[in-house]
Amino acid sequence: MNCKQVFSIIAVLAVSLPVTVFAVRASEIAPAVVYSTGGKFDGSFNQSAFEGADRFKQETGIDYREFELRNDTQSEQAIRNFAREGRDPIIVIGFQQATSLAKVAPEFPDTRFAIVDMVVDQPNVQSVVFREHEGTYLVGMLAAMASDTGTIGVVGGMDIPLIRRMTCGYALGALQAVSGIKVLENMTGTTGAAWNDPARGAELATTQIGLGADVVLQLAGGTGIGVLQAAADAGKLGIGSDANQNGLHPGSVLTSMVKHVDVAVFDAFEAARNGGWKPGIRSLGLAEGGIDWAFDDFNRDLITPAMKDAADAARNDIIDGRITVHDYMQDGTCPR
Amino acid sequence: MDNFELVILLLDATLRTSTPLILAALAGMFSERSGTINLALEGMMLGGAFSAAAVAYYVGNPWIGLLAAIGTTICLSLLHGFACITHKGNQVVSGMAINILMSGLTALVGIALFAQGGKTPSLDHGSRFQPITLPGADAVADVPVLGSIYSELLSGHNILVYVAFLAVPAAWWVMYRTRFGLRLRAVGENPGAVDTAGIGVVAMRYRAVMCSGVLVGMSGAYLSTAQGASFLQDMTAGKGYIALAAMVFGKWRPFPALFACLLFGFLDAAATRMQGVILPGIGEVPVQLVQALPYVLTVVLLAGFIGRATPPKSLGRPYVKER
Amino acid sequence: MSDTVQLPRWIDVGALPLLNLLLALIVSGLVVLAIGESPTQVVEILLYGAFGYEEAWGYTLYYTTNFIFTGLAFAVAFHCGLFNIGAEGQAYVGGLGVVLAALYLDFLPFPIMLIVAILAAAVFGAAWAYIPAYLQARRGSHVVITTIMFNFIASSLMVYLLVNVLRPQGSMTPESEQIAEHLRLPFIHDIAAGLGLEMASSPLNLSFVYALVCSVLVWLFIWHTRWGYAIRTVGANAVAATYAGIEPGRYIIMAMMISGALSAFMALNEVMGVQHRLLIDFTAGYGFVGIAVALMGRNHPFGIFLAALLFGMLYQGGAELSFEIPTISNDMVVVIQGLVILFTGAMEHMFRPRVTRIYTAWHLRRRAQEAA
Repeated sequence: MNCKQVFSIIAVLAVSLPVTVFAVRASEIAPAVVYSTGGKFDGSFNQSAFEGADRFKQETGIDYREFELRNDTQSEQAIRNFAREGRDPIIVIGFQQATSLAKVAPEFPDTRFAIVDMVVDQPNVQSVVFREHEGTYLVGMLAAMASDTGTIGVVGGMDIPLIRRMTCGYALGALQAVSGIKVLENMTGTTGAAWNDPARGAELATTQIGLGADVVLQLAGGTGIGVLQAAADAGKLGIGSDANQNGLHPGSVLTSMVKHVDVAVFDAFEAARNGGWKPGIRSLGLAEGGIDWAFDDFNRDLITPAMKDAADAARNDIIDGRITVHDYMQDGTCPR
Repeated sequence: MDNFELVILLLDATLRTSTPLILAALAGMFSERSGTINLALEGMMLGGAFSAAAVAYYVGNPWIGLLAAIGTTICLSLLHGFACITHKGNQVVSGMAINILMSGLTALVGIALFAQGGKTPSLDHGSRFQPITLPGADAVADVPVLGSIYSELLSGHNILVYVAFLAVPAAWWVMYRTRFGLRLRAVGENPGAVDTAGIGVVAMRYRAVMCSGVLVGMSGAYLSTAQGASFLQDMTAGKGYIALAAMVFGKWRPFPALFACLLFGFLDAAATRMQGVILPGIGEVPVQLVQALPYVLTVVLLAGFIGRATPPKSLGRPYVKER
Repeated sequence: MSDTVQLPRWIDVGALPLLNLLLALIVSGLVVLAIGESPTQVVEILLYGAFGYEEAWGYTLYYTTNFIFTGLAFAVAFHCGLFNIGAEGQAYVGGLGVVLAALYLDFLPFPIMLIVAILAAAVFGAAWAYIPAYLQARRGSHVVITTIMFNFIASSLMVYLLVNVLRPQGSMTPESEQIAEHLRLPFIHDIAAGLGLEMASSPLNLSFVYALVCSVLVWLFIWHTRWGYAIRTVGANAVAATYAGIEPGRYIIMAMMISGALSAFMALNEVMGVQHRLLIDFTAGYGFVGIAVALMGRNHPFGIFLAALLFGMLYQGGAELSFEIPTISNDMVVVIQGLVILFTGAMEHMFRPRVTRIYTAWHLRRRAQEAA
């Protein structure tokens, strides 16, 4: 390194000091998304949110800003940064961000916020929650019917009520379809890292398969990628969740419990654009099209007509109210 | 039968989780026995894991990925050597620097190459190390006990698992039965004497850190192309430090280090499965307790309460030639 | 060369570290180039993000606060010849002290709570540093390894406590309850508002002032007290210290406990000042950055302040970076951090022989000229 180079670099640094100002370009709305720690390519929950935002961009030409958290402590700063920039609406993904949002939202009363998967009770926040247990009930039925060994498994992320509610729906659905079926349950961890640890997910799935499970549902975000991988590697069936994960390992993913976070994000953006945005709780289930099970070319050969009929019948029953899937979060129990 | 099956599964998982630890602990051993502290195992493992996954993805061959991983970790070892051996910099600081650097650099390059938030794309079957069925494993699978030990526990791992276990006696042989090993240990104990005998201390230490690089590169590749199917940001999650602890726990010797790795691997495998499990008579054992156990044990050992861990005498001291 | 001249102070503590820092930044620039972005644009955004608007200053100084504490912590131990890599764990456990005090003694008025919280942080942090210190001093267990182990043990312990003990019933996230409003450290912008000044809202709080106070105290302690002298003597040469009648073990323990307490003060900023609750991993690597800060600042409180400011700038500006350029994430800052530690810490001697040679030549020539 000679002196000349050093000097030229110093000169470049000095010249660039006068700084341009970054401002939000004036447009109708300037939306933003804050993804949770899994990142927007987690192949799951966040990715679904990303797809919704992206679809909005394609259809309306309105660009959005996004931020992926590296750790939960960043959440508050990210939300506040967007709000300060004048972003509106701001959608935050994941229950982990609820505390941060509850803190930031009152500071920007004119900004519209939305949070997915948790309720934040503020006049400028829309809380989108899903009735996932309705979806896991259906995939539980399908898993039970697809199982040859009489044992199925589920790998959850963290041991929190949200995941308990889903595992409960899964078990109830499975027992409904095949009485006496054995359902193995494992949780990955106790911290946020549990959502992003595919190696551990694969370990747990491998253990469950070793114990006889031949269908394993993942409810663990990024960790679930490892679950599906392990199931495919072992020649067993996995079940995806959140996004449609049927295509990850064609022929080895029985189905996916699809949670349309994309729809929630798209709707929130769209409502903000056309003036129909409302604060409060939006609960999405089978009836609203927020939850569903995935049936496409990837798993057409895995789902027999009998299975499809049974799942569709149960789906209609739930929508019509003839079946009520027990909600773990109501009373903290899972009556089997 | 059910319990037996559980034990087999747990031991099977132990082999899988301890493999990267064994390779990294041996890597640490080569470096430290020659007098160079290697706190950079964590960062090197991460660098190896990233290179392996990225290259395997591009060329579709895990072996080339493995070579890339080893190449990367050798470069990092040389960097470590350049700082600590050539410029007599602080070995602890250099190690920490490499760890921090790689944590950022792998993610940064990952985002630049693949735009998936620091991940590499999932590898397909051909780009990963596949399980190997040992000869006759299927035939004896139905033989009670021994058959299932052979077919379930010993067979069906990928090549790197076997490599790791073979690396232990190999490392022992190199370390204690070759002239190279003798000299390597000597520069770690008494570099002055080695120098007097006309052997270059600097060259010897460089060779030692390069051996370290080769081994830790394999452990990185194992994480991303054998056990997993892609690289993830900070996927080593402290395994480099656990390996370091295992090396210390194994008193800087290959076979004791192997047992330490197996023990720590077992604890990890057990912790994963004990989430929310209630043991009869004991109640629910906090998973965190099991997770912290390797570190606690290492501290207890270091404190001299169970045996004594004596590091190589010149560990951490740059060699300054007497004039 | 037998007659090398001792380098003057301004080269030793000024020019050499700057040269190393410059090299680290140049390599960082090359990394930016390599991933296909423009280094000048990155510098532009970094500087704008760190200093370009009022809140940015607040955020920059808020990060600086953390780095001052962890930098001081590393420096105090370093003066005693010890590598305290355990600042993460000590700060984490210190956070427990702060949150326990604030949650269970919430009847106390703020001024008393302030003192109690400082004491609680200090006691918890120092206690966590005590065990590795004791093992180093009395049983010869290397403090580098034990403090690394203690970081992991602290992490497990805190996760256990947060998940099983501190988490409020029915809460989905493992975090403690919020600290009562009147017990939080006041934000600087609130204090300014009280004085009739309008300042943009930022997480900068009273702990920044405390960090400056601690800097002065550390300076007094290390260079102007008997204990500080003893610590430096042990750090320079433990054997010689013994001959001088200084018992190294005692000062090793003392330095480590002070170091632990200083690390733990970071929790005042994070827990009591900003997050107002105990979060998983709230230490977020600040403890490790402290190593870089102390090394760059040559283990002197003033140098540490400057280095902490630099890293505060990198952190805040880096957050802005990831907002502006999607291909560059916060990881760029981590890379710069690593390079700074590598060049200013591990390779600090790289330029020294050459610079010494050049300086000596220059010096000799000048002396010859004067003589002529």
